[in-house]
Amino acid sequence: MASLTRSVSCEVSHLLLPRWGESATSKLTLRVSLVFALFCVAAPKVVAADDAAAFFENSVRPILVEHCVGCHGPKKQEAGLRLDSAAGLRKGSENGPVVVAGDVEHSKLIEVVRHVGAIKMPPKNKLPDRAIESLTKWVKNGAVWPAVANDNSGSIQERSKTHWAFQPVKDSAVPTVRNQDWVRTPIDAFVLARLEAAGLQPSPPADRRTLIRRATFDLHGLPPMPNEVAAFEADESPNAFEKVVNRLLASPRYGERWGRHWLDVARYSDTKGYVRLKDNPNYPCSWTYRDYVIRAFNEDLPFDQFVMQQLAADQLELGDDPRPLAAMGFLTLGQRFLNSQNDIIDDRIDVVTRGLLGLTVSCARCHDHKFDPVPTRDYYSLHGVFASSIEPHVPPLIVPAAERPRHDAYLQELQRRTDQLQQFLRTQQSKLEKSARERAGEYLLAAQKEQLQANFLAVMFLIDASKDLNPVMTQRWGQLLEQTRKRHHPVLATWHALANLSASAPDEFAAKARELIAKWRDVSDPKQQLNTVVVRALANTSPSSLADVATRFGELFQQVEARWLETLKANSSAKQLADADWEELRQVLFGDEAPSVIRLTEVEEFLFVDTTTQNQLHDQQRQVEDWIASAGAAPHAHVLIDAAVPVTPRVFVRGNASNPGVAVPRQFLEVLSRGERHPFQQGSGRLELARAIADRNNPLTARVLVNRVWLHHFGAGIVRTPSDFGLRGEPPTHPELLDHLAAHFMAEGWSIKTLHRRIMRSSVYQQSSRDELSREREVDPENKLLWKMNRRRLDWEALRDSLLAVSGKLDLTMGGPAMNQTTPPFSTRRAIYGFIDRQNLPSVLRAFDFAAPDASSPQRHLTTVPQQALFLMNSPFLQDQARNLSARPDLIRVEQTEQRIDAVYRTLFSRAAEPEEIALGKKFLESNDGAAAASTPTGESRHLTRWQEYLQMLLLANEFLFVD
Amino acid sequence: MWTRREMLSRSGLGLGMLGLTDLLRGESARAESTATHPLAPKPPHFAAKARRVIHLFLNGGVSHVDTFDPKPILDKHHGQPLPTSQRTERKTGAAFRSPFKFAKHGRNGIDVSELFPNIAASIDDVCVIRSMYADVPNHEPSYLLMNCGDGRQARPSMGAWVTYGLGTENQNLPGFVVMCPGGYPATAGQNWRSAFLPGAFQGTYIDTQHTQPEKLIENIRNDFLLPGRQREQLDLLRQINGRHLSRRPGDAQLEARIQSFELAYRMQSEATDAFDVTREPQAAREMYGDTTYGRQLLIARRLLERGVRFVQVWQRAGQPWDAHDNLETNHRDLAKECDQPIAALLRDLKQLGMLDSTLVIIGGEFGRTPTVEIPTPGVSRTPNGRDHNHYGFSMCLAGGGVKPGYVHGATDELGWNAVEGRVHIHDLHATILHLLGFDHEQLTYRYAGRDFRLTDVHGEVVRDVLA
Repeated sequence: MASLTRSVSCEVSHLLLPRWGESATSKLTLRVSLVFALFCVAAPKVVAADDAAAFFENSVRPILVEHCVGCHGPKKQEAGLRLDSAAGLRKGSENGPVVVAGDVEHSKLIEVVRHVGAIKMPPKNKLPDRAIESLTKWVKNGAVWPAVANDNSGSIQERSKTHWAFQPVKDSAVPTVRNQDWVRTPIDAFVLARLEAAGLQPSPPADRRTLIRRATFDLHGLPPMPNEVAAFEADESPNAFEKVVNRLLASPRYGERWGRHWLDVARYSDTKGYVRLKDNPNYPCSWTYRDYVIRAFNEDLPFDQFVMQQLAADQLELGDDPRPLAAMGFLTLGQRFLNSQNDIIDDRIDVVTRGLLGLTVSCARCHDHKFDPVPTRDYYSLHGVFASSIEPHVPPLIVPAAERPRHDAYLQELQRRTDQLQQFLRTQQSKLEKSARERAGEYLLAAQKEQLQANFLAVMFLIDASKDLNPVMTQRWGQLLEQTRKRHHPVLATWHALANLSASAPDEFAAKARELIAKWRDVSDPKQQLNTVVVRALANTSPSSLADVATRFGELFQQVEARWLETLKANSSAKQLADADWEELRQVLFGDEAPSVIRLTEVEEFLFVDTTTQNQLHDQQRQVEDWIASAGAAPHAHVLIDAAVPVTPRVFVRGNASNPGVAVPRQFLEVLSRGERHPFQQGSGRLELARAIADRNNPLTARVLVNRVWLHHFGAGIVRTPSDFGLRGEPPTHPELLDHLAAHFMAEGWSIKTLHRRIMRSSVYQQSSRDELSREREVDPENKLLWKMNRRRLDWEALRDSLLAVSGKLDLTMGGPAMNQTTPPFSTRRAIYGFIDRQNLPSVLRAFDFAAPDASSPQRHLTTVPQQALFLMNSPFLQDQARNLSARPDLIRVEQTEQRIDAVYRTLFSRAAEPEEIALGKKFLESNDGAAAASTPTGESRHLTRWQEYLQMLLLANEFLFVD
Repeated sequence: MWTRREMLSRSGLGLGMLGLTDLLRGESARAESTATHPLAPKPPHFAAKARRVIHLFLNGGVSHVDTFDPKPILDKHHGQPLPTSQRTERKTGAAFRSPFKFAKHGRNGIDVSELFPNIAASIDDVCVIRSMYADVPNHEPSYLLMNCGDGRQARPSMGAWVTYGLGTENQNLPGFVVMCPGGYPATAGQNWRSAFLPGAFQGTYIDTQHTQPEKLIENIRNDFLLPGRQREQLDLLRQINGRHLSRRPGDAQLEARIQSFELAYRMQSEATDAFDVTREPQAAREMYGDTTYGRQLLIARRLLERGVRFVQVWQRAGQPWDAHDNLETNHRDLAKECDQPIAALLRDLKQLGMLDSTLVIIGGEFGRTPTVEIPTPGVSRTPNGRDHNHYGFSMCLAGGGVKPGYVHGATDELGWNAVEGRVHIHDLHATILHLLGFDHEQLTYRYAGRDFRLTDVHGEVVRDVLA
């Protein structure tokens, strides 16, 4: 059955931007009405079964979920009514059925939502007309509640208790099958059991040349050499194929192929996406992550360690080799969203959760996940981990200690530039801090006046024109006020009380303030104790407005600073002021939570209002970055490190950073914690997060990885939504097989190479891809049961690399900064070393379905468009390869046309040319019309020769692009 | 809706290749057929007039109070502080009167300033929306909001959604073409990206500072084969591929790729032809004007005529209309550049009987303040320009089922805020999709566990502008 189109998407971004000029209330109303707009505009077209189901999903269920299920659902059943399942609806309330299908007038549900009788639902706010219309239409058309397979009856929590992907990995017994001869490995038994159950049979084994071609493309992304094919065809030993696989796995070409698959998941790019004019668009040493990944695959780094290093290499014991620090590019090399921190964090949460866990956690940014057990609280628990992790101004060097002397000159200059940068930052830091302290009173007042504008865009552009206060500092005071509004703070409680007074009774402020302050002089409850210095200062001067109060505070802040400086003069190691009340005040200005304490890493945030200084800072940074990116630079790593003081995250209500809600601990996802969840204890908690993901008891990590490996061997995963193992992902076609692979993968030390061997040894893998079995084709056209091997198309990298390989020009140099792969003069190195600009991905890469590096990519698209053909027909790159191929010495040596054609076939297609093919080729070559090829000024022929035309044509053949 | 025959002849595909039944199966089929024939024509949700779109992006922020939304009160208070103000990107000061004269034009007496005399003459075909509003007063997020429905996240562009939804009618040309002379607008390729939709739906960027067709489209011409040789190559290739296919019968991927070489071959001549404005009669070239912008619109018309689904034309690289100072010179200069060509395009489409089926969108990413911008060193020098204003601005629609000669909505007395019949960019998107026959809530694509759409969770069709 075709999947129902459910128009449920996510209010991610728009709501992050407050609509300026509107009050908070109007914002809220607007938001609510927009939500309704989504659910209610669609009108039913035809009331066929599918349409009715779609109408329910699009227009009715969302209303029920949003407005009814809160009181009539799994948690509460007001009046005994549940509106979260068909059964609940059928059962009705204590007073009987609430819906009579097709009869609007007698359906209680419609009566109550219309607010016409005694009972009005929802009790407070009437639904918008559109929603009522939709419900009415739904009842009128029969109140269809589709019984689909993934019926949402029961809460997400209930269903997730039984959802396959959240259950522990279980190594089931290998099934018994009839056709035992076919079973070479347990994989075969699992696959064959399903085939036999469906009355189907597997395909015959592929021939040897097909097999070695398949294996070589699979593991290297390159065609086998003719001599390798010949050797394998001649090898009669029983383990001939195992030898081939081992040889391929031992070659560095393997890491270059499989590393690339991982880079898709890691949304790897050498650039930051759109940046402002002055910013550097490139990551200066992104390539160290790419090289790290290639090395990890080549060295068969156990996958659990691979995960640990990518998330928390900064906190692992690395010994003398700091190179694994580069692993953290997994987190850091995403898009930079013009430095919007919350978006950067979202990108990191997304790459970690979809990439490693197959869970779409970032859906929970604005509201609890609609389909999976991921509450918004969990999203912000992870948010806190990344908000507590920062990037150092200078990415650390990753040269092993022993090799450092080699880089002496480089390092000296680096040190000089780094010192300059640090010096500049420190100067700015102290300037900013000084001003922030001197004007603390003004900030206090400004922050009170502002709606809390915590989010990036609001701060970025909303510059209060009337005063030249720094908006970031104002925002920080706003946060402090926000944090101290509810919990008693001896210094600021007075402020809050007077601010409330000023808001509620501005006209009588002076008199009422006097009364209030008088009362404060004799507070006796120690929990309500107020700072006596503050109370005294306020009592002495009788403020007549909140601005007066701010002035008093400002004076006090200046006094406390003076006292503190004196104290330091007397004793430079002083830790606090002797007087407890003054110390309390000092904390507001100098303590850990003080807005006016600016860390070096935070300086930049404050500079955006000061373009001149910002430009100076960027120049300083560029000095460092340019040096790091210069030829002859030593490698560095784009790492994260823990912030000095970790952030306690708060849920952003509806994803809106200017509307912080409850505080949540930094901790792992509830659904994967099996009941015993503890807040993270160490710093940001990133290391603990890494451990929780790489944990053998985590039901997802190994399953997701083995599925990805399977996908790249077969062209489709056992789970066909490789980055979504949630309730709406596709269930596995072979659940026991998936678990078998995951269990053995972990038991065998998370070795990906072992996993390849396990898969490639199977009869399933070694089947023919010829779909000659008509019954099978009819019953299972998508080959979900694996009755044959899938024919595969080379992706961009494999195609480009193979063209270079057969033309004899492939440069096998490994590693280092990225090269240019799409404009002449073309690099002839492997495509994985090509520069990837996520901002302007070359159109040829897009045409060939390269994974868009905007976000983690689970699987490449597979489209056929004429731009692909145009590239092969007309691009200078192809011209080069046709010429290069013709110049291969081993081909030139062959004199006879027939034999030469045969040699080309062996090189390109790993097989001999058939007589008919030779005849076709000869006919083409001999039918030369004799037109003279023009020459370039350098004496080279401008046009291809007839032989080169022939060669280019063969490079375009389907047999070159598709692997059987 | 297309007739069956029309669809086949335009698509250039054989019956077996197209799989008509697929087309009739709705959204899931839309997603499925994407792999083998991403650009094959597909029907929308319901019959609609508009079948193609041309988006004339006047980038940088055209001032609405100087073009389509006169505010006489600014003359009265010129140089004086206004009672209300809005926060914008930079500081602005007193009221700033428009240096341009307005007059009423057309049947319904629609106000247009002297900047656009030619468009004014065609105003009876245009629907002016005076109540647009966006989210933020900055170019980059506003470009992306206008093009992709989101200011920051990587979302597919409108052109990508439309070609995903409808395919394209001429398989020998790209379905979604973007033109900008001499470089990119800010945020560059993000403006026409396909994001998580397949790469086939990404806009094909054309640098229209070049005039030779072969420089306009990548790999469109072969310069290393003797004349006629490519055809011989492809004939042999077809035989070779045919032998290969005969042993692997029924593999749609192989068939599709065989077909793609034929399509590419035809595309070479067709695209070269489409982009070659020298093939237009002299009169047409004069009507559009012999300028880069005029040439862009003439190419655009040739593309639309040939069945390209979505054409986007940027005026210049960067953000030309961004008149923080010297607004008068800036706007005069740019209006002069585009007025005649745009009017020529409207007339031309009408003359060809294509205006009804072509939705023309004209406008920028936001408007400008009714107040004068206070100069900031390095950005603006003299106090004779306006800052960005996303709270209210104007856009024009024409053709494609839009109410002609009509003004929708209004800004307040000063031109700060859209107040009547407010149209957010999401609403504009919903309306555009509606005009093309889509329920914007149903045109979805499953990615990362959810169904995405151009309008995210927003958008209401502006019924008032529908003819």
